[in-house]
Amino acid sequence: MSPLKLMALACIMSASAASLAAYSDPLPPDLTYRPLPTQPLSSVRANDEAQKPKVMKRQQDLLNKRYDLADKPIPDASMSGGQKKVQDGVRVRLPDGVTWDTLASMSPTEIRDKNLLPEGFRPLPHVKQATGGQVFPQKAIDEIGKQENRDLKRFDVDFDLPDHLTPEFPPPIFLTTHPELGDVSRGELLTIKNFYEYMNGIITPVQMEGLRLLLTPFPQEEFNQTEDRKVAQQSMGVACLDCHANFHTNGAFHLTPDVRPQAARFRLDSTSLRGMFNQQIHGSKRSLRSIEDFTEFEQRTAYFNGDHVSATRKGVNLPDRPNQVAMMAQMQNIIDFSPAPKLDLMGKLDPAKASEQELAGERVFMGKGRCGECHLPQTSFLDNNMHDLKLERFYNIGYTANDQVAIADGPIKTFTLRGIKDSPPYLHDGRLLTLADTVEFFNLVLGVKLSQDERDSLVAYMLTL
Amino acid sequence: MRDFLTTVLVTLVSTPALAQMGNPAGFAPDTRMEEPGVPAAHQTNNQDRLFAQLAAVGGLAEVDLAKLAATKATDSRVKEFAQAMVDDHSDANSRLKALADAAKIPLPDKLDADHKAMRQKLDAAEGQAFDVAYIRSQIIAHQKTAQLLAWEIGSGEDAQLQQYSAATLPAVMKHLRMAQDIASALTGQASREIVAAKHN
Repeated sequence: MSPLKLMALACIMSASAASLAAYSDPLPPDLTYRPLPTQPLSSVRANDEAQKPKVMKRQQDLLNKRYDLADKPIPDASMSGGQKKVQDGVRVRLPDGVTWDTLASMSPTEIRDKNLLPEGFRPLPHVKQATGGQVFPQKAIDEIGKQENRDLKRFDVDFDLPDHLTPEFPPPIFLTTHPELGDVSRGELLTIKNFYEYMNGIITPVQMEGLRLLLTPFPQEEFNQTEDRKVAQQSMGVACLDCHANFHTNGAFHLTPDVRPQAARFRLDSTSLRGMFNQQIHGSKRSLRSIEDFTEFEQRTAYFNGDHVSATRKGVNLPDRPNQVAMMAQMQNIIDFSPAPKLDLMGKLDPAKASEQELAGERVFMGKGRCGECHLPQTSFLDNNMHDLKLERFYNIGYTANDQVAIADGPIKTFTLRGIKDSPPYLHDGRLLTLADTVEFFNLVLGVKLSQDERDSLVAYMLTL
Repeated sequence: MRDFLTTVLVTLVSTPALAQMGNPAGFAPDTRMEEPGVPAAHQTNNQDRLFAQLAAVGGLAEVDLAKLAATKATDSRVKEFAQAMVDDHSDANSRLKALADAAKIPLPDKLDADHKAMRQKLDAAEGQAFDVAYIRSQIIAHQKTAQLLAWEIGSGEDAQLQQYSAATLPAVMKHLRMAQDIASALTGQASREIVAAKHN
């Protein structure tokens, strides 16, 4: 090659190096992927255990500042299994100097500029945001430990909400294939140990195999055999129904698999699987279009935070789509909503059965309150859409609370309101503790300015669903 | 906007050192502890050190580009934004420098290749094209800075650097929104805000 050509080539190469540099983003290498652990389990565990009392106190302080956590049940309102009362009253604490009515009369911008949005209406942090992961309520830990001798207790964190603000446990199970039987749970938690005995004869072989898979533990981010775990002993993992107890929920929480970086991930309150047959989109953010898709992919999301690389390292189970996934989906699709005897065939209250206050609540729900625009009674109180409430109209984003960076939530799927009294806490992250809290929240977010009577009637109405 | 630094300083002074609870899985093996589970003051991990360096070079570039824009921009909103960036980032840079010095983290003192290329691009642009190019560069810069700060909050070990990040992030989000609003006014680019934000 001639010297001139060599020089030209060198110029081209340095020019392209410069342009490559212009497109190289100087950002950290572990913004998206989970970093590998840097220390052995013994060191990590010692530090985690040392931190735990402070971690739990910090979260309790945050909860007590945001909410009234007292046990104040509605005397005549029980969850569907009859084991637990529904909690009463608004629990979100107001900032000094305002009432719910004065707040509702202010514009979103005024509330934001005066920093008056109650903290309990804002994103709820995980008990330990920097680590995140699945956290089970003590009752679930005890029952799985008793039945399966499998440990779901983490050494770094405990569950943070009091028991009376979570769903009844174990919850009842209703089957679409056997409405005449009512609750088929026998008052027990379904596990890999007892499912065959309890379901033998009332479900099909295909459903039984699906149920077996939903109850089989598989490795998970915090429960596995590697040093990167949060359980003392090497763990067989977790099962789908460890969180979705009896196909409902026990209130176990997690972080969304769909957001990065870690500090910005929002908390996820386990959703109920009741009425799955009528739910068309799945995952608060992913809008997966079938329960088959969701069931298949949860092994990389609920189990591994949406990080398929970490999943591969810890031993992911990928269910076979045409056989295993289909059977798991078929089992989920026969789980019915809890009974709502006051509703007619189209989801409207039967005037012969409902009280005046409940009927008034339905009118508010369908009219002034605008609830029924997304929660359509005829389609199981769903619209099978995602909506953005744009709550960031009411507060300045970017602040940090217990290591969680509050960003805008963005669109989240509409959750069903059928059987809603059975599944506190509310909203995708469980930031609202009672039905009365949800009424105050949406009264503000939708700007509908409901009177106290109208708000009370909405709570009475939701108890009938 | 001058209250930005005040906010940072007040937050840093008033927040107890234990406010951050890092993930022990990310601690370096030679971590010095103040007490079990709590890293000593100015104890850093790899993420803290990388954060300080990337934030510092981003801060340098902010001031450098903003000084250029304060004189070269034609639109008054862009000029005002640029002046605000000079003020805010000069203050934030000094605070970061103090924390990095305390933790013995060496910081870069000149622009990296990425920001040099941006500077060259802006040097070559004139008039309204400059205004648009500058404000778009600011949208990207603040998007990246927000990511970087959130990453440090979740991954760092030096509580003071994490508190600095937490105190700085709301202002960065506010700057991002300002840049988006100006870009929207200059170009008709869609802005997600549905209620006008109050910038202070």
